[in-house]
Amino acid sequence: MATHAISIGDAEYQEVRSHRLLGFLFFLISDTIIFSSFIFSYLYDRSASAVWPPLGIERPGLYLAAVNSIVLFGSGVTMHLAMEAWRHANRSRFAGFMIATIVLGVGFLSGQAYEYTHLHDTWWGSVFGASFFTLTGLHGFHVFIGVIFLITVLLQTRRGVYDQSRYFGLTAATLYWHFVDVIWVALFFLFYVY
Amino acid sequence: MTISELQREASHAHIHPPPQGFVSRYVISFDHKVIAVQYFITSGLFFVLAGLLAEMIRAQLMQPHNTLLSAQTFSEAYSVHGSAMVWLVIIPVLTGGFGNLAMPLMIGARDVAFPWLNMFSFWLFPPAGILVFLSFLYGAPQAGWTEYPPVSLHTPGTALWCAGIFLIGVSSTITGINFMVTIIKMRAPGMTWTRMPLFVWATLVTAFLSAIATANLSAALAALFIEKIFHVPFYDPANGGSPVLWQHVFWFYSHPAVYIMILPAFGIVSEVLPTFVRRPIFGYRAIAYSSVAIGLVSFMVWAHHMFTSGLAQWVQLPFMILTMAVGIPTGIKIFSWVATLWRGRIRLSTPLLFVIGFLSCFTFGGITGVMLASVPADIHEHATYFVIAHLHYVLFGGSIFGIFAGLYYWWPKMTGRLLDERLGKIHFWVMFLAFNATFLPMHWLGLLGMQRRVAFYDNQFEGTNLLPMVAHTNVFVSISAFVLGLSMLIFAYNALRSATRGQVAGPNPWGARTLEWMTSSPPPYYNFAEIPLVLHGPYDYGKPLPYANISQDLATEPVD
Amino acid sequence: MNETRSQPLLDTEFWSVTVLLTVISALLMWGVVIFPIDAWLPEASTVSKDIDFIYRFMAFFSVPILVYVNGYIVYFMWRYHVAKGEDRTATGSDIHDHPGLEAAWTIVPSILMLILGVLSYVVLPKYYLASAASVATIEGIGHTFFFEFRYPGLAQPVDNDLHLPVGKQVTIDLTSSEPDIRNAVIHSFWVPEFRVKQDMIPGMIVPIHITPARIGTFRIICTEFCGVGHSDMVGKVVVESQSDFDNWFKSEQHMQSNGATQAPISIAGGDAAAGGQKFAAKCTTCHGTGAFAERKVGPGLGNLFHDPDHPTLVTGKPANADDVADIIEHGFSGDLGTMPNMQVNQLTPKDVANLVAYLESLHK
Ligand code: HEA
Ligand code: HEA
Ligand code: HEC
Ligand code: CUA
Ligand SMILES: [Cu+2]
Repeated sequence: MATHAISIGDAEYQEVRSHRLLGFLFFLISDTIIFSSFIFSYLYDRSASAVWPPLGIERPGLYLAAVNSIVLFGSGVTMHLAMEAWRHANRSRFAGFMIATIVLGVGFLSGQAYEYTHLHDTWWGSVFGASFFTLTGLHGFHVFIGVIFLITVLLQTRRGVYDQSRYFGLTAATLYWHFVDVIWVALFFLFYVY
Repeated sequence: MTISELQREASHAHIHPPPQGFVSRYVISFDHKVIAVQYFITSGLFFVLAGLLAEMIRAQLMQPHNTLLSAQTFSEAYSVHGSAMVWLVIIPVLTGGFGNLAMPLMIGARDVAFPWLNMFSFWLFPPAGILVFLSFLYGAPQAGWTEYPPVSLHTPGTALWCAGIFLIGVSSTITGINFMVTIIKMRAPGMTWTRMPLFVWATLVTAFLSAIATANLSAALAALFIEKIFHVPFYDPANGGSPVLWQHVFWFYSHPAVYIMILPAFGIVSEVLPTFVRRPIFGYRAIAYSSVAIGLVSFMVWAHHMFTSGLAQWVQLPFMILTMAVGIPTGIKIFSWVATLWRGRIRLSTPLLFVIGFLSCFTFGGITGVMLASVPADIHEHATYFVIAHLHYVLFGGSIFGIFAGLYYWWPKMTGRLLDERLGKIHFWVMFLAFNATFLPMHWLGLLGMQRRVAFYDNQFEGTNLLPMVAHTNVFVSISAFVLGLSMLIFAYNALRSATRGQVAGPNPWGARTLEWMTSSPPPYYNFAEIPLVLHGPYDYGKPLPYANISQDLATEPVD
Repeated sequence: MNETRSQPLLDTEFWSVTVLLTVISALLMWGVVIFPIDAWLPEASTVSKDIDFIYRFMAFFSVPILVYVNGYIVYFMWRYHVAKGEDRTATGSDIHDHPGLEAAWTIVPSILMLILGVLSYVVLPKYYLASAASVATIEGIGHTFFFEFRYPGLAQPVDNDLHLPVGKQVTIDLTSSEPDIRNAVIHSFWVPEFRVKQDMIPGMIVPIHITPARIGTFRIICTEFCGVGHSDMVGKVVVESQSDFDNWFKSEQHMQSNGATQAPISIAGGDAAAGGQKFAAKCTTCHGTGAFAERKVGPGLGNLFHDPDHPTLVTGKPANADDVADIIEHGFSGDLGTMPNMQVNQLTPKDVANLVAYLESLHK
């Protein structure tokens, strides 16, 4: 897509970019709805139950999740720094922060994998487990896609697909990554704190 | 901006050459007009299948204890009938079909914002439909198009059904996003919000609903699917889930979905009326803004489908009031359309007849909707043939009449040839009468105690004490339903006939004024050689055309 | 177009049509007022009168809306259509809004809806709110595919047969359940003559309050799709005088304490052909005539008496005619689900004999 962008005039590129940006925002909104739908289900089950989590079910440990959250939010910071570097045309700094972001993302996923394998509760065990594994799993899937997205964009910058004024793919990756962070705030609060 | 600046901006966008080769032209096409036709053909096939299922339903119900179908086959028939009509016919035709065909032309664009996604979205649709019908092989879903668990978890076909509807949901979300961007960003220069044709307004609100509500459907279906396959407890009370939860998430989508199924039809009505009445539409702004109001309120009424599922009374109250509130913007539309007829110069062509049929039937269906909204009344009516009557009055009387109005109206634009007027009028009258004969008696069947989704019913409903002249209400309904089905053959014949013998239509056979008529029929690949410049609203009949860059000769005299 | 300008916007013809439509509306509205709803569908509970009042009100205001909308459509179409040979390029009036008129058609429906909302709100509690006046609380449990009612003071439940004394408020706690909870589905309890309907949801108990107002026998209908037997899930409610009710209650108590009530059904002389017809009418929703494993709801009954894989019945007893008759007579709840008893299946002793004969004849 971006190779095509090079071949068109500036005015047209700006137009195409604004279309893609708006489309991407709408996509993020509808993705939010998907999460909200599951969150609504979770809150519904919760309000229907006298004790929460249901009897005999333990909440997953706060400690591991907190560490993991810090890893994820850290990746948000490095992502931001990477974009700053890009805007200042500092390619090597950019690549460094991108790699840091990717590593932190993978770190978060490993943390989640560790958590999953050390829980007593299962996906099909209870309504808590159903919501917990579905929502955090869906989120983890988003992180996974995000990591692939970042790697692709990083390789594309290497191949010179983007230039200083035309880098929509990069913008999209950033937006997506921050979006995934924000969703995690809600999930963290719901499952570990509230 | 001055006009000359706008003009310069308008003409800079360059024209891409049309693709060569059969596949890239007609199969994997990026062209919104070709994609529209693909939607029409695919949905048309599903319409015949879903309609034949309806005829099976009616054949079974000819006698109270008919042995034609088993109880199981009967349940499969209405479940797939309902699902297919909603998701494989009405929604794809109105958004994918008419939205693609008319919207980009009407805003003076060369295509939608993301042609590739448009193509992708279409190609999700045939597999989705095939999955839904394939579920018959495994024992199709039986719990209706609403598939309430736990009973839906007990039929094997539910998984395939979920997968199919999920695909069509994704397709609908993508189309919604695509259309929103197109309408917000790609209107021809000078086309301000209040110069936008009303069909485009309707499509914009529909696109918003498709993108937001349908995402929620995808989530609900995914949950039902994993519950069915992996027994993850969401909805089954045996594992601690809640069946009422499904009803909430399903209707949170499906109520907005009924407006996805009617708003574009409202849009079609708003286009056809001024063209054949030859006067400006009455209350342009009221019609446009009421679509927005309907769209927003539609998210807050879902629980009116659940008045008998044990909700607390304080929950029912706001849902009841908001549901009734939707009738007010809808009424504004209806009254504005009727007022448009006043002092017009009315040409009684086929598209207009279907619009008139729409106005009459939809108003009736809307009013029975309000009768369902009142909680005490709904407690008696819920899950009876009264609801079935309501839903066919709005979906058939509304959406299908709207679809036929749109087909007769845009057929020449799509194919370059006119449909036969006489056949069209015969089609209208047979369909209109048979429709009312089929669905009107269902109201009292329901009120008297005939519940929906039954293969066998009590002997008393062979006749009802209300209308002695219709001694056998269900038999009468079934025969009318067969006539209703046959009326579609008139249209099929007309459509085939027009391919060879249809009168060749010029660019603007009806003398309309919106932009899609300002280019040849069918339009060239790039739609407009020069992007038009819009100076006024589209419905001022009697004034010069409100476009620069467009020849005034296109304000032609109607041919019919 | 221009020559009409000089005329008043709404001429006498328009007003005559309006008067005509008003007269038609008035006649129809009068029809709504006098419509004998009670003769059409008896108002057999106290709340049904209130609900019918809402219906009457809704029909009353819907009639003029429908008459005016359709009437003006037809009139305008006739009045303003372009006849053959007239100028086809002429255009109509260019009036494109009228704030006063638009305000009117926004406000009038709003007021109507508001009244309807208030009316509904007033009627609703009569149906929902528990009151101390209830003379009894009965449990109503939905099963595939019959209703079970448990009375305080009766040891055994009564199937598909609800007896209520006239004029007394009763509370019915509705729910759905099965011996194996995994088979429980949503049913619904509807008595059209009472204008009362409530879903029966597994895991949830919802009370409803009914005051029967008229003696008679009415149908209880399941309105929520619950499986292949949904169509036939119909019970009956018998509203009777207090003394009749007391008699029924006593005899029911008596029957239950005496254990096996009647003498065992004689299965001699069953007619297989008549049994086959009954089977098609009553049993094929749940049973096929294939092998045991060919289940619909219950097992296939083709080899019932001669199946080496299943020498015993689901009750564990040997497959002989008496024990089969016993299952058909009393029903049975086991691992496969619930087999309804002869009362639910509406069978006479003769039917049972015929059915056994038919089942015996199945083996080829
Ligand atoms: C837009 C939606 C739509 C449309 C157009 C229709 C069209 C029809 N519907 Fe449908 N219907 C639904 C949506 C729709 N329905 C839904 C959502 C439900 C609820 C399902 C549920 O309970 O979950 C339902 C349920 C439903 C029921 C209730 C089933 C039950 O609860 O037991 C019945 C019963 O009469 C019925 C009948 C019909 C008939 C006779 C038509 C006819 O108008 C169809 C006419 C069309 C054709 C027949 C096809 C074209 C025909 C030809 C090309 C010619 C060949 C024909 C012949 C030879 C006869 N429908
Ligand atoms: C195109 C689809 C469509 C549309 C537009 C509507 C429109 C409306 N519907 Fe309907 N509805 C369905 C499709 C649709 N519905 C379907 C498919 C079902 C069944 C689902 C299932 O269970 O299978 C259903 C079921 C349904 C129920 C649940 C019934 C039940 O199961 O118990 C209710 C209850 O409130 C309801 C209400 C309404 C209302 C108030 C409107 C309003 O939007 C109508 C507004 C319009 C008017 C009111 C007419 C014009 C107005 C005037 C002329 C002004 C003056 C009017 C008055 C003062 C009254 N509908
Ligand atoms: C609502 C569904 C339903 C209906 C209607 C029904 N049955 Fe059954 N039947 C069952 C179920 C379920 C079982 C298995 C019970 C169990 O083992 O838990 C069963 C078991 C039986 C058995 C025992 C089978 C065996 O191999 O031991 C016989 C005999 C039988 N039914 C006969 C009949 C007859 C005769 C009728 C019609 C009058 C009938 N049933 C109607 C559901 C039904
Ligand atoms: Cu029980 Cu339907
Ligand atoms: Cu609704």
